[in-house]
Amino acid sequence: MIKAGQIDKGTALLIKGQPFVCIDREFVNPGKGSAFVRLKLKSPSTGQVLAETMKSQDNAEDITVEDKDLQYLYNDGTNFAFMNVETFEQIEVPMASFPDYQYFMKEGETYRATFWEEQVLDVLIPAKIVFTVAEAEEAVKGDTVQGATKYVTTETGLRVRVPIFIKQGEKIRVNTETKEYLERVNK
Amino acid sequence: MDAMFDYACQKARSLMYREIRNFFDARDYLEVFTPTLSPSLIPEPTIQNFSTRFVNEFTGNLDLYMIPSPEIFMKQLLAAGSPSIYQISSCFRNSEQLGHIHNPEFSMLEYYTLGYTEMDSISLTEDLVRAVSRPDTPDYAKPPFRVMSVKEAVREYSGIDLNAVQEYGSLRAEAEARGLYVPDGESWDDTFNRIFITYVETSLPKDCPVVLTDYPYQIDCLAAKYPDAPYRHRWEMYMNGTEVANCYMEETSPEVTRIYYEKEYERLVHERKGTELPIPRADLSFTDLAIPPSSGVAIGLDRLLMCILGKEEITPLLLFPLSDIIHVGP
Repeated sequence: MIKAGQIDKGTALLIKGQPFVCIDREFVNPGKGSAFVRLKLKSPSTGQVLAETMKSQDNAEDITVEDKDLQYLYNDGTNFAFMNVETFEQIEVPMASFPDYQYFMKEGETYRATFWEEQVLDVLIPAKIVFTVAEAEEAVKGDTVQGATKYVTTETGLRVRVPIFIKQGEKIRVNTETKEYLERVNK
Repeated sequence: MDAMFDYACQKARSLMYREIRNFFDARDYLEVFTPTLSPSLIPEPTIQNFSTRFVNEFTGNLDLYMIPSPEIFMKQLLAAGSPSIYQISSCFRNSEQLGHIHNPEFSMLEYYTLGYTEMDSISLTEDLVRAVSRPDTPDYAKPPFRVMSVKEAVREYSGIDLNAVQEYGSLRAEAEARGLYVPDGESWDDTFNRIFITYVETSLPKDCPVVLTDYPYQIDCLAAKYPDAPYRHRWEMYMNGTEVANCYMEETSPEVTRIYYEKEYERLVHERKGTELPIPRADLSFTDLAIPPSSGVAIGLDRLLMCILGKEEITPLLLFPLSDIIHVGP
């Protein structure tokens, strides 16, 4: 058990027997009232997001989680398929629970995942990932009003705005939180 | 230099403070400057104070507290016969969230008007907000205010009739019927706040400032009680869903005031027993105040500035916000 006031982003909880991961929390102190905490909790199996308001002194049932390394294999449109790098066991994770994650899943890359018992609660996306440009628009000549940028699509299907000198087949580093281009990678 | 602070925000703050002073000076309020370092801990169990220690080998040492609001000093001035007064001061609250709309040190405007009711303070505050708003201020921070009672808001957003749930069992039953978890032994005001925070605060209109009036009397505070209804002469103002101001028609009875502080002190001692928090000495010498009929308003100026500038957080408005300097947690 932990106090609701100690719940932070990433804390895993058991609510009515189902695991949830806290994705947002904010303290609320109503005028002249006790401290409350407003939580957004996501179900890793369904992607459902619950809003819960608790007094910071309320008890919540936290669960012990474990991190494991998973190698990304493919997705079939419904599930991501990973392989546990230690046991070679294949693990499926519903894509609906992790919207937009497909843009950051590169075949053969290893990702750190949070487990509770046999269930994947969370998959950690590195802050920066290097992608290969799969498709690049031709830059429009003379179009420098927008600071001379254009869109490219990575091998994972992510559309990124880049400077016009980036060509198909080149590698670029991208901030995964903002989905913004950081730099060209020369190697 | 510009990585460290946002010039436009600082300029806007400076202008806002000047407008506030012009506003009250033009109405003959006296600006006062009371201490932020206080020898007395104002007993409010829901607020954690910052404490420090005065060290002096001749007089002996003394625990001191950073004020959570200048209320108690300003009320002593009123009791001593001051005219209507206002103050802009730094206030300090411990154990609250870092960042977003909180900083442990924040700026508060507090003003007391002699002879006013809390309803008179609404129009005064409306004029004040009009005076500090800018052409680009979003509608949610622009007068006129929408005024509704807590009772109306609770009925509208949760379907609960507050008059019908004065008895604790019925309030609890309504909360539980809505799927709210209520632990055993909870007080009326805590269960009310669960309902309020879950259903009311999240649903308040965001197209204009909202003033919620007539808070349940069970939420103990120094706002005068209605003689004939279970409410107090108190309002809170919300802009864009954020609490920005709090106002009372002040309790004037010294006896009621003293009993309130004695109860709050007992509650604080009870809450702190068995915890590592220090139990302050009982110093209630300042509490039996006979203040004249008046109404006091407290406005969080960082939040007001945030709203009139159309921002979502106070952090960019602060110079050296604590959330930039220390990082707590994983």
